[in-house]
Amino acid sequence: MGFVELDGVGMTFRGRTGAYEAVRDFNLELAEGEFFCLLGTSGCGKTTVMNMLAGFDRPTSGEIRLEGRPVRGPGADRGVVFQGHDSLYDWLTARDNIAFGLRLRSMGRGERRAIADRFLNMVGLTGQGAKHPSELSGGMKQRIQIARALANDPRMLLMDEPFGALDAMTRAVLQGELSRIWSENRKTVLFITHDIEEACALATRVGVMKRGPGGTLKAVVPIDLPFPRERTSDAFMACFRQVHALIHEEIHPHE
Amino acid sequence: MNSRAATVAGYLIGFALLFAIWHLASVFIVRSVLFPSPFPVFERGWVLIADGLLQESVWASMRRIIQGFLLGSAIGIPIGLAIGSFRPVRLLLEPWTEFFRFIPAVAMITVAVIWFGIGEESKIFLIAYTTVFVVVIATAAGVGAVGKDKIRAAQCLGANKFQVFALVALPATVPYILTGMRLAMANAFVTIVAAELVASNDGLGKMLWDARLFMQVEDIFVALISLGLLGFATDRVFRLLIRAFAGRFNPTM
Ligand SMILES: Nc1ncnc2c1ncn2[C@@H]1O[C@H](COP(=O)(O)OP(=O)(O)O)[C@@H](O)[C@H]1O
Ligand SMILES: [Mg+2]
Repeated sequence: MGFVELDGVGMTFRGRTGAYEAVRDFNLELAEGEFFCLLGTSGCGKTTVMNMLAGFDRPTSGEIRLEGRPVRGPGADRGVVFQGHDSLYDWLTARDNIAFGLRLRSMGRGERRAIADRFLNMVGLTGQGAKHPSELSGGMKQRIQIARALANDPRMLLMDEPFGALDAMTRAVLQGELSRIWSENRKTVLFITHDIEEACALATRVGVMKRGPGGTLKAVVPIDLPFPRERTSDAFMACFRQVHALIHEEIHPHE
Repeated sequence: MNSRAATVAGYLIGFALLFAIWHLASVFIVRSVLFPSPFPVFERGWVLIADGLLQESVWASMRRIIQGFLLGSAIGIPIGLAIGSFRPVRLLLEPWTEFFRFIPAVAMITVAVIWFGIGEESKIFLIAYTTVFVVVIATAAGVGAVGKDKIRAAQCLGANKFQVFALVALPATVPYILTGMRLAMANAFVTIVAAELVASNDGLGKMLWDARLFMQVEDIFVALISLGLLGFATDRVFRLLIRAFAGRFNPTM
């Protein structure tokens, strides 16, 4: 039994313009503690898969299980980091955003603050806890989102292109920090991206998706390179080329 | 110069300019006893203040506005929250709000007087009436505008339905509620004058009406200026409130 199992999962959206089968027969098992990157071109169904695993949407076919139990809705066992930063609470400070999940469990103020500060440190925002999201840069907001999800101590982390809207430099820094944090806590991560280099730098395995309609997993590439990853090494380049070849067929299918 | 000083200076110069143009217009263009220059008006205002008559009228009107406004907000906010949160409630109540908001409070004066007489109740009813629908619509729109990701984030941090409402939907809606209340306050000024013109024993509307009867043009202008200044001051207070509650994360408000 895998830690996470997606078993013949499919999603067909029905709307005014008719039915659209976004995801078809998606099968995947994640082991506990792995960092799985789901890579695919825009519109291939990555977010749809994540939304089903997060419990925001119910699959129209198949089943998703976490530690053997079917997923029925969103829950505190799956922390989510969203692509944009609309999910942060503008009226709360960075610290209170991070402690939001703890507050839901009516943890005491002092304990909440201590935990929030620990995670502020972890994401490199020591001393910024009193600021509001509007006073923070895009990269800092994504750090807060990551800290908020981790502070709640979920069983796994779901991340939907969390660095997609950041500039290249900030993105590289945050990738490095995320990799370091993961190396320390070894939480199971499903990380969605359309950036091949990002996938190769972070993942223990990269899953490449076929484009839609009927988006599904077409290949899984293990990345057996030590952390921190050396992006200019020959071994890294070889991984990049291997994944690139798989994605390239999706972008230019008739070559 | 800091920005606060610049704001105050801007306001002062703006008002001074207004009175200067008024003065010039009355001296060189209109030249009629029906359009006095600002100086006799200020003199008359001073007399009315010395006699305590102006304060009485201002307080009578403001008291009604505040009472009706608070009542209307107290009714409108929960209804707006319910309409925004629950689809059945919206389907049920939207026809009401969409229907009544096109019947202006001014048109309700006659029924208000028939039902409540010309005392306080009819004015408070009218102000509350004009407040409710604006606040309901703004509040419901605010609830509808809460970002999907904000709610989802709370759900996967373990929030139940009540926590999502109290800790996410409600605080996210506060700026909309305050903006709705600010708009409603402007409506309340329109309504109170109309109501007092038609049926009242005191207040700024009554002062306007009496001044017309006795051809006291200066009194009319004193009442008009008082309304403008009161509205201006009230709106400032609201903007400060909105800024205190919401401005730190929404500088456009
Ligand atoms: N709620 C929806 N209704 C209809 N179609 C949708 C909906 N959500 C996504 N889709 C469609 O499903 C496909 C996959 O979307 P998505 O999972 O967001 O792609 P990705 O995240 O890989 O860019 C797209 O073609 C998109 O238009
Ligand atoms: Mg997506």
